[in-house]
Amino acid sequence: MEKSIIRDLEKLLGRDAVLSARTDLMMYEYDGSVEQARPECVVFPRSTEDVVGIVKLASRTQTPIVARGAGTGLSGGALARRGGIMIAFPRMNRILEVDAENQRAVVQPGVVNLDLSRAAEPYSLYFAPDPSSQKACTIGGNVAENAGGPHTLAYGVTTNHVTGLEIVLPDSGEVVRIGDKAAETPGFDLTGLMVGSEGTLAIVTEITVKLTRKPEAVKTLLAIFDRVDDCTQTVVEITGRAITPAACEMMDGWTLRAVEAFAHAGFPLDSAAVLLIELEGLREAVEAQAVDVIDVCKLCHARDVRVAKDDRERDLLWKGRKNAFGAVGRLSPSYYVQDGVIPRTRLPETLRHIDAVCAKYGFPVGNIFHAGDGNLHPLIPFDVRDHEQFDRVVRAAHEIMEFCISVGGSITGEHGVGMEKNELMPLLFSESDLGLMRRVRDAFNPTGLLNPDKFFPSSKGCGEIRVRPLPISEPAAPTPVSGPPA
Amino acid sequence: MSPATGTAFAQLSSIVGEASYFADPAALTRYSVDGRNPGAVVRPGSAEEVAEVVRFAASEKLALIACGGRSKLGVGMPPVRYDIAVDLSRLNRVVAYDPGDLTLGVEGGMLVSALLEALREKNQWLPLLVPWYDRATIGGILSTNSISPLRYMFGGPRDFLLGLEFVTGDGKLCKSGARVVKSVAGYDSHKLLLGALGSLGIITRANFRTFPLPRAQRGFVASYSDAAGALDFCRRIAQSSLKPALVEVLDPGAARIVANPKLPEGSWCVVAVAIGHEAVVERHARDLAQLAEQSGAAAFVALTDADKKELLGRVREFLRIVAEQYPDAAVLRTGVLPQNVTANCEKIARLAAQNGLGCANVVRAGATLYTVLLPGTEGTTERLEAAIRSAMSSTGGMPRAVLERCPTEIKSRVNSWGPVGPDMELMKRVKQVFDPHGILSPGRFVGGL
Repeated sequence: MEKSIIRDLEKLLGRDAVLSARTDLMMYEYDGSVEQARPECVVFPRSTEDVVGIVKLASRTQTPIVARGAGTGLSGGALARRGGIMIAFPRMNRILEVDAENQRAVVQPGVVNLDLSRAAEPYSLYFAPDPSSQKACTIGGNVAENAGGPHTLAYGVTTNHVTGLEIVLPDSGEVVRIGDKAAETPGFDLTGLMVGSEGTLAIVTEITVKLTRKPEAVKTLLAIFDRVDDCTQTVVEITGRAITPAACEMMDGWTLRAVEAFAHAGFPLDSAAVLLIELEGLREAVEAQAVDVIDVCKLCHARDVRVAKDDRERDLLWKGRKNAFGAVGRLSPSYYVQDGVIPRTRLPETLRHIDAVCAKYGFPVGNIFHAGDGNLHPLIPFDVRDHEQFDRVVRAAHEIMEFCISVGGSITGEHGVGMEKNELMPLLFSESDLGLMRRVRDAFNPTGLLNPDKFFPSSKGCGEIRVRPLPISEPAAPTPVSGPPA
Repeated sequence: MSPATGTAFAQLSSIVGEASYFADPAALTRYSVDGRNPGAVVRPGSAEEVAEVVRFAASEKLALIACGGRSKLGVGMPPVRYDIAVDLSRLNRVVAYDPGDLTLGVEGGMLVSALLEALREKNQWLPLLVPWYDRATIGGILSTNSISPLRYMFGGPRDFLLGLEFVTGDGKLCKSGARVVKSVAGYDSHKLLLGALGSLGIITRANFRTFPLPRAQRGFVASYSDAAGALDFCRRIAQSSLKPALVEVLDPGAARIVANPKLPEGSWCVVAVAIGHEAVVERHARDLAQLAEQSGAAAFVALTDADKKELLGRVREFLRIVAEQYPDAAVLRTGVLPQNVTANCEKIARLAAQNGLGCANVVRAGATLYTVLLPGTEGTTERLEAAIRSAMSSTGGMPRAVLERCPTEIKSRVNSWGPVGPDMELMKRVKQVFDPHGILSPGRFVGGL
C-alpha cells in the first residue's frame, strides 16, 4: 500500500485511528476460523462521516476494504483477503437509543451483543440473537453474518430482529437509510437482503433492532445419555412431537469432558452425550413443556434428567456450553469447526457419518451443536502448522458438508460462507442462482473492492477445495493432537 | 396489441399446451388489472414452463403479470404494459413435506386453504389467516405480503419462509434460501420478492417451516368507549409476559364492517386469541380479563369456540368485505409502531370528518394499520381523493402509508406508494438485476418499477 494512502487516512481520522506497523497488523490477521490474511492498515472510525471519508479514499485509490467487528467470526468474513484497508468498529460502539415502548433499539455497529441486552434489561427487554461469542461479538458483525445462537431455535436469527439500517455504499460513499423502526415499509426488503450479506454489499453504520420481552419463567434441563444414538433420537422425538424449547443443545462425551475440565459445570464425565434443553415463557407453558420433555428423554433411554435448581446452576451449564470452543482450544493447537445444517430427522445417521469420516481421516471429533435446529458444529482438533494435517482436515470437512447437502441441508447455519466455504457454494447453488447473487453483489459493490474474494467461488462450478499455502509464516514443530482427558 | 404480437402469442400455446392457452375476450377480461386486459393468458404446468414463457416474453419484449387467485391484483399502481397473464394455478402441489422436521416445500400456485387442509392431516399449520382465504395462493400472499392477524405471535411470512424458487425477468429459474430451518448460505434474495408484486420474479416454489396445531385455543373480545382504553389494553398486553397469538384492534367503523354480534355497536373492540397448552390458555383468560378491567373496558367476553370461529372468519376477511361491499372505498396500509397508532387514528378521523367521509381502522398485531375511507352520503370522489392525498402526504400525513385499494379513476392520479424513500436508487438497481428487460409487472411497484 502506498504510504500516501496511510498519510491521507491519518489526516482524515487522526494518527491514533490508523495502524500500519506490521506488529500491529498481525493482531488483525485472524478471526475465529482457520483462515488468515493480513490487512495493510487498520482504521478506527468514530462516525458515519469517518466511514464515508475512508470509503471515498479507498474508492479513489482502488484499495480493497473490509469491515470488522470483534473478529470472532468463524468463516474468515472479516479478514482482509486482498490486503488493503480494514475498517474496525470498536470506536463506533454507542447505543443511540433504547425505545422501550416500541421495543426497538438503535445502535452503532461496534456495540457488543451482550451490552445491548444489558442496556435493555431495566425495561425487562433484551436482544434475542445470542451467539456463543456474545460477550465479545458486535451487532455489526451479527448483521453481516446473520448470526444465530442457541436460543434462535425459538426466537429466530439476526434477520428476524433487524428492521432498519444505515449503510454506506462502497462505490460512492453515499449514505442510505433502508427500512425503519416500523416492521414494514414500502419497497423491496433491502434490510432483509443486507442482513447476512457478509459485508460484501455495503458497510453498515447504524442498526435498528427489535428488543424482545424477557420470559417470565426459565427452566434448564440436562438430559444425560449413555448412547449418542439415544440422544439424537430424543431430538428427533422432541421435534416430531412439536415440543418447542427455547434452546436444545447437544454435546457429545468428547466435548463435554473437554468442557468440564475448564468450566466445572457438573457435566457427567462418563456419559456418551448430553442435551441441554431450555424452556422459556409463561410459567404454565414451561411446566407443561418440562413434563413433555422429560417424558421424551425417558422414552429415549436417558440415564438421567437433571433440572437446574437456580440461576447459578443454569449459568454454569451455559458457561460450559458457550465456552466449549475455547475449552477445546486448551487441548489442541487449532480446531476446525463446521456449521452444516441437516433436517432434524436425519440427525442420528448424520452423526454416525461424521464419526466415520473423521475416523477415516484420522482425527478425533467433538460434536457440540444446536440440535433443535439441526445446525451441527463438528469440531475437529488438528495442528494448523502441519501442512499435511491442514489439508486432511479440510478434506474431512468437505466430505461432511457434502453429506449435509445430500440430505437436503446447508453448508452453513450461522457462521457464514466467507473465505472458508466459498468454493463449496456450487454444491448448493446452481450457476443461475450464483449468477443472480453475483449481479446483486455487482449492483451494490460494482468494483468488487468491498470484502473481495469472499462468498463466491473463485472459478466456475467446480466445488473443489483449494489447497492453501501454509497459513503461518514461521512454522514451528508440529505438536501432536491430544484427546481430551478421559 | 400489434399484429406481430398477435402472431407471437400463438407461440405461447406451444410452450404451455393448447389447453392452457387462452386469448378469448371473456378469459382476458377475467385477468384484467386496473381495467387493462392482457393479450393472452397462459397456465404453465411447471416451473420450467414458467421460465420458458418468461424467456419468450423477454425475447418479444412482452410484459407479464403473474397471478394466482386474482384477489389482490388491484394492489399497486396500474401496469404501464400488460401483454400476458401468467396464471400459476396449475402449480398447485405440495412438493416436499417432512412433518417430522416441520418443513415444507409448496408450489407458488397452491391455494392457501388447500395447503392448510393438507397440513391439518399431520396436525400442523401455517399461521396464515389471510383474506380471500379460499382463493388466495401462496405466491399471491407472498407477492403482496398479505399479513395475517397471527403476526402477533408468529411474525409475517418473512419470518417463517425458508427459501424461494422463482423465475427472474430473463427467464432463469433461481433459488435462494434453503429447505432446512436455518441457513445463511447465499444472499437472502427471496426476501426481496416479498410484497414486490411480482416485479422481481415469478414465485414457483416456497419453502416454509411449519408449526404444530395448538392443543387449545380461546378467543376474547374487550370493548371500549374510546380509542385510549383499547390501545391502553394493547400496551398492557405488550408489557406483560402474556403471548397471545392475535391482538386485533377494531375501531367502531371497522367493527361495523366486520358486523359480528360479539362486537358491540359503537365500541372500540380488541379481539385477542390465546393458543397453546390448556394451562396457558387458562392463564391468558385470567390475566387478559384483569388487564381489560385495568384499562377500563366496558366489557370483556370469552368466546365459545363457535363464536370465535365465526368472528375470526370475519376479521380475517375484513379487506375482502370492504372490497365487496364498498367498491368505492379506499384502503390504506401503514407500518406503525405502538407509539404512533393513536396519532394516526386521530389524523384519519379528522381527515374523514373534514371531507365528509366515513372511516374505519384496524390495527393488526400492533404493527400494521389498515385504514378504510368510505365515501358517505356527502362524500364525492374528489373529496375521497383529497383525503387520500392528505393521509399520504409526507408532511402531516402518515409517513410511508401505502394505498392498497381505491377506485381506478383515483388510482391513475395518486401514487399508490406515496413519496419515494431514500432507498429508491438502490431499488432501481435491484430491479435492473432481477428484471433487466423491465417485463415483470411493469409500472406497478414503488417508483413505477
